[in-house]
Amino acid sequence: MTHAGAGEDRTLPRSLAAHRTASIVAGLCGSIFLLFLVAPIARLVAGGGTSGVSALFTDAELRGALWLTAVTATLAMAAGALGGTPLAYLLARRSFRGKAVVAAVLDLPLLIPHPVAGIALLLILGRESAVGRVLLHAGIQVAGSPVGIVCAMVFVSAPLYISAAREAFARVDPRYESVARTLGDPAWRAFRRVTLPLSMRGLIAALVVMWARAVSEFGAIVILTYNPKVASVLTFDRFTGFGLTEALPVAAVLSILALIPLVALRALRPDHGAGMDV
Amino acid sequence: MRIRSLVPVVLAVAASCNKPAPKSGESAGGTAGSGGAIVVYTAASVAIPIRAALDTFAAREHVTVQQENGGSLDIARKLTELHEIPDVVVLADYHVFPNLLMPEQTTWYADFARNRMVLAFTDKSKFATEVDSTNWPKILQRPGVELGRANPDLDPNGYRTLLTLQLAEQYYEQPGLYGRLMKLSPAKNVRPKEADLVGVLQAGEFDYIWSYESLAEAAKLRYITLPSAIDLGTPGDTDMYAKASVKVAGKTRKDTLTIKGEPIVYALSIPKTAPHPQAAEQFVAFLLSPEGRALMHATRLDALGTPVIIGTGEPASVRAAASAQ
Repeated sequence: MTHAGAGEDRTLPRSLAAHRTASIVAGLCGSIFLLFLVAPIARLVAGGGTSGVSALFTDAELRGALWLTAVTATLAMAAGALGGTPLAYLLARRSFRGKAVVAAVLDLPLLIPHPVAGIALLLILGRESAVGRVLLHAGIQVAGSPVGIVCAMVFVSAPLYISAAREAFARVDPRYESVARTLGDPAWRAFRRVTLPLSMRGLIAALVVMWARAVSEFGAIVILTYNPKVASVLTFDRFTGFGLTEALPVAAVLSILALIPLVALRALRPDHGAGMDV
Repeated sequence: MRIRSLVPVVLAVAASCNKPAPKSGESAGGTAGSGGAIVVYTAASVAIPIRAALDTFAAREHVTVQQENGGSLDIARKLTELHEIPDVVVLADYHVFPNLLMPEQTTWYADFARNRMVLAFTDKSKFATEVDSTNWPKILQRPGVELGRANPDLDPNGYRTLLTLQLAEQYYEQPGLYGRLMKLSPAKNVRPKEADLVGVLQAGEFDYIWSYESLAEAAKLRYITLPSAIDLGTPGDTDMYAKASVKVAGKTRKDTLTIKGEPIVYALSIPKTAPHPQAAEQFVAFLLSPEGRALMHATRLDALGTPVIIGTGEPASVRAAASAQ
């Protein structure tokens, strides 16, 4: 930017042209990238959308799989919110010895190949393990049940929630919380009345990502619980058993239906957060 | 950046991409391998014996080999639906060739090895110290025993398990045995294919799994050899095996397919559009030759004394290797 009045006439058009070129290049890059992300799903929906939607009325196994997916992914998301929110808050607000290690360890499940994650969960929660024996005593078998599905989903998706929730908390100025504390609010009340509403948009976005990741999980689930089948497992089954014509509708209808809660949650923007730059 | 400027560009690029998808067989379908590596799709239950043969071949011929393991139907679908064409296809059931791959993908296949059904377990399995080839039906019915099996609609091992159980009911003259043993491995104990059962067994979630001898050997599992009249491994018992039959999913979800009991036979072929047909031919000729057969025996795969070629159009070198003694 130039401040000299004499130079302005000559340099402005040039910077404007550079700005335009940059815009076009960025626009092109963005467009190609957007297409890369959207085109496969568009192709999927174009290829199997109609038959997928009509299969919703005729195919009870498909309805069952979609329903099971929705319920288990929502339970996984709720478990992530309950267990992950305190962790995310701790990591955002407190400094303690070994914090970097804890944060890194929480990212580990993202690194592990999913079938390996399934086996690892089986070793910890299976009927031969200490936890598994206690659960079995209480009548809960992890492998081969919806409990196994939820466990697999939480394991692979919670790190995404914690990492995003931590950022959401970090963006709220701690001074607001301090003010509430000086006005006599105990810590929990200050969190609930100040930090939580201010970070709500970020937290919801984090939950959306977690839910979506849970819906898409296959590798860990198929080790723990092949039956009853979630939508991802049913897609694999139909493809292996009957080929693309049977698999496309399942995949398409999953994409279409998953879009509804995603859009709804993204649209949910509490007014409290409107002023924050999130 | 303004969103408005993005939209027209997206639409323009999208429109230019909106061409019909390439049809089967066109070059756009692509090949599975890259560069000079020969690619072999292998049924997971013979992955290790085929790996050993491939390694010997690769060292001798100075070629790079690439092996991809999966369920037999999985592999067939990769060719027919995704148009990913390898150089060699090795499947756990020769039927998959006539049912799914002929005549579009290949015109011939070679039966080259046998396998047999076994009951695999580990040291940690319940009653591992007591179980043997005569008392297994009783041991499996004890309370708390978890028995795993493969999906009969997706995997040859899955329907072979059902056939073996039917034959066991006849062989042991215990009416209702099939139903009782099936109840012991309900839907929650099913996994897509037999190779998926191994990890779950080793993790202790299952006590016993239905498997193949080659796979149990490769995974270093303990296993029980079943009577030859029920293990689908003995050509001499073909008439006996034919007394069992099961219905599994057919080509679409509305069809069913009846499968009769018969000896387990592994088969292989070279797809018509294999990217490296010469190297593929060389490898198949090596595998079917007396030397290859000996190598398979050494890795505990029951190679046929004389491989049998079915169909037409197989390479001359392959036919010569198969008939050599």
